[in-house]
Amino acid sequence: MILLRRYGTLFALALIVLVFTIASPQAFGTMSNLINITQQMSLLAIVAIGATLVMVLGEFDLSVSAVVSFAGIAAAALFAAGVPVPVVMIAVLVAAVAMGAISGFLVARYRVPSFIATLAFGTVIGGLTFWISNGATMFSGIPAGFRDLGRGTLAGVPVPTLWLIGTAIVFWLLLDQTEFGRRLYAIGGNREAARLVGLPVRRDMVVAFALCAALAGLAGLLLTARLGSAHPTGGGGYLLQAYAAVFLGMTAFREGEPSVPGTLVGAAIIAVISNGLTILGVPSFLQDLLTGAIILAAVLVRNFGRDGD
Amino acid sequence: MSQSPFLALDGLVKHFGATKALDGADLVLEAGSVHALVGENGAGKSTLIKTLSGLYQPDAGAIRLDGQPISIDGPRSAEALGLRFIHQELNLVPHFDTVDNAWIGRRHPRRGPFIDGRAMRARVAEVAARIAPDLPLDKPAARLTPGQRQMAEIVRALMEPARLVVMDEPTSSLSEGEAERLHDIVRQLSAERCAVLFISHRLDEVVDLCDRYTVLRNGRTVGAGSVSDTSRAGLVAMMSGTEIAGTASGQPSLPLWERVGERGTASVSPDETIAAPAFPHPNPPHKGEGASGQNPVLAADLGFGPAGSHVSFAIRPGEIVGLYGLVGAGRSSLLKTIWGATPGRGLIALDGQVPGPGPAGRIARGMAYVPEDRRREGLANSLSIEQNLSLAHLSDFRALASIPAPSRAKIRAFAQATGARLRLVAAGPDRSPATLSGGNQQKLLFGRWLGRPIRVLLVDEPTRGVDVGAKGEIHGEMRRIAADGAAVLMATSDIEELLALSTRVLVLHAGRLVAELDGPSLTRAAVVAAAFGHAPDEQMPPSERSA
Repeated sequence: MILLRRYGTLFALALIVLVFTIASPQAFGTMSNLINITQQMSLLAIVAIGATLVMVLGEFDLSVSAVVSFAGIAAAALFAAGVPVPVVMIAVLVAAVAMGAISGFLVARYRVPSFIATLAFGTVIGGLTFWISNGATMFSGIPAGFRDLGRGTLAGVPVPTLWLIGTAIVFWLLLDQTEFGRRLYAIGGNREAARLVGLPVRRDMVVAFALCAALAGLAGLLLTARLGSAHPTGGGGYLLQAYAAVFLGMTAFREGEPSVPGTLVGAAIIAVISNGLTILGVPSFLQDLLTGAIILAAVLVRNFGRDGD
Repeated sequence: MSQSPFLALDGLVKHFGATKALDGADLVLEAGSVHALVGENGAGKSTLIKTLSGLYQPDAGAIRLDGQPISIDGPRSAEALGLRFIHQELNLVPHFDTVDNAWIGRRHPRRGPFIDGRAMRARVAEVAARIAPDLPLDKPAARLTPGQRQMAEIVRALMEPARLVVMDEPTSSLSEGEAERLHDIVRQLSAERCAVLFISHRLDEVVDLCDRYTVLRNGRTVGAGSVSDTSRAGLVAMMSGTEIAGTASGQPSLPLWERVGERGTASVSPDETIAAPAFPHPNPPHKGEGASGQNPVLAADLGFGPAGSHVSFAIRPGEIVGLYGLVGAGRSSLLKTIWGATPGRGLIALDGQVPGPGPAGRIARGMAYVPEDRRREGLANSLSIEQNLSLAHLSDFRALASIPAPSRAKIRAFAQATGARLRLVAAGPDRSPATLSGGNQQKLLFGRWLGRPIRVLLVDEPTRGVDVGAKGEIHGEMRRIAADGAAVLMATSDIEELLALSTRVLVLHAGRLVAELDGPSLTRAAVVAAAFGHAPDEQMPPSERSA
């Protein structure tokens, strides 16, 4: 029982994979489909890793999907104006970092609840995105060299999967193996204690929000690269799924704290369910219903046996 | 003077708006000395410490280290000067273990690109071996006992060479044995030429442990010297500024309730307060067998705690029964089980009746509970003082009995009456309880039960971190509740308080009831011996030993 509670989320992932493999051995349980799942989960997982940083602080960044959409549209608009690829990428990432830093500053300096600050600021970003795009999908002038960053394979591994692997390693090291990461956990665990031992609480919070936005920006770039077009609400679906992944991940390891490996497990669960149900031909409303139920079940299993209140 | 003191604070002044938190505070610390800083709550001790730790910048005055004027810009700079602080509210990250907590904010050792967990642990183990060899290093702070958390904080403070360790109320959450441990550590630090600035409301501890003292009152240093030249009574007189007075003269804020002055002394005498018109009688005189004091109000026959230890006892009306034990012995856990807040096996009976489940069932039968940790378990800081007072029995304040909407006027009236009875000092009934001093917060927790007849009062640490004046008033209130016919069960780590208030003492050791002491057998030595599990045979409990 303790094992189940501790690693229940991992068991759940294994169980879900097993069930789909039995249900559909030819289509689901193949190597190529499993690799395909890693590609399908990559952008979601990159956004969710960013959200993890902010969750470690005990805060929320609800502007991530707005930043994803903004980054995609901003890149497309710059390409349409003939700006070269490296400049576009750097400009878009810098803009995303600035957006995150503003949210983080509002939260850290003025103690605006992050829920409200990022919801409001995300709405501002959404307006900006519509303004740039005129509300339309943008697809002209996106160079093939840029598109290759989001499609195809390298040594048999899909390029988006490689982006995810790189991001996961860097941010796992950052959260788990650096003093910055330890400080974020300390701030999230007891902000007052962190302040009293002289940690740079405000600066670290701003940096965490900025990194979160940077990853959302990266996901937006990759989304535009993969699709070869950008839509002003292209990132809309990532917000809830990213936080679902983080919450599922919190149930996976380590005293219920958010972590990069946990978030990867969470994102994998969401991706596997979506992929498997699609293969089985389950209608999409039923997919939503089942996904939500599974997330609730995972969280319930974790709290099972604890005191009611 | 041939040699300048290690650290000197000269005439520190600090304003917060119109309030002068520090108004000429001086402090002279000799290297390696154990120095007591005493004063009532609100006297400016915390502000002084926060100034020393760099969290506040003084408006005037100087800080000199080794004779050189310095400025302390922030916690980092204080740390670099070798000053360490163990604040009153323990400041550990709950899900970090001792090792991770000790390393917060320090440069972590590395092996290649990775943090070297083994080296981190080794370093912490080395520090811990000196002062607390039995401290678990791999348990999250949330699962340590209060005493262990204190040790973990000290280990963190000593990770790098320290010249001064400031301890704010370090023993208030510790039981006798653990406090002794801490005293040993303090002496050891002093022997290693590390000064200790020790803040405590336990004057016996101050007298035993400290070499020198400084007394603050209203932000000003009103006395300093060698502890051997003074006495407890002398310290109390300096702290309160009067002959050992029960007044809260150290409070900078004005009394909220004007009748405080006139009704002040009445608060310890049951008869006069009953006459207070606005205030419902706390406890209608119980009739029949209750008054004779023979039938117990509370009878408990319970298994509690993770080990499911079994205890059985009964308390009669008017009794104050002390519950003593080392930290971890299960006092709080037993109280919470009786209160129905944590599950336990067995039965309790209130006036011979089994109450309904959970705290609500207890409240319905006249039980009341004052928790140990007022900040975490007691007060809702988002509500005002008066709303906190009304919280436990909101339905009594309905404007119309059938409509569950509380009446502000009724709550206000109750708050006024309760505030007067308890001599609550606050800026206003609509302020947050966070603005109150510790003693007044504690009074608030008692006050919220005063609107209803109390049959049984469970109190966990009634006066932890509370100043001398408020402590006396809280003790008076507890005696009054008992005198009104309630059974009082009081857990405390403060052995002076235990002996002063209890008619009978139950001692827990490792979750078992090991002794029941009263009358001549109730001595300090017997209590401590039993708590350490050394109880002589004739003190071993069973029930039929009561007078």
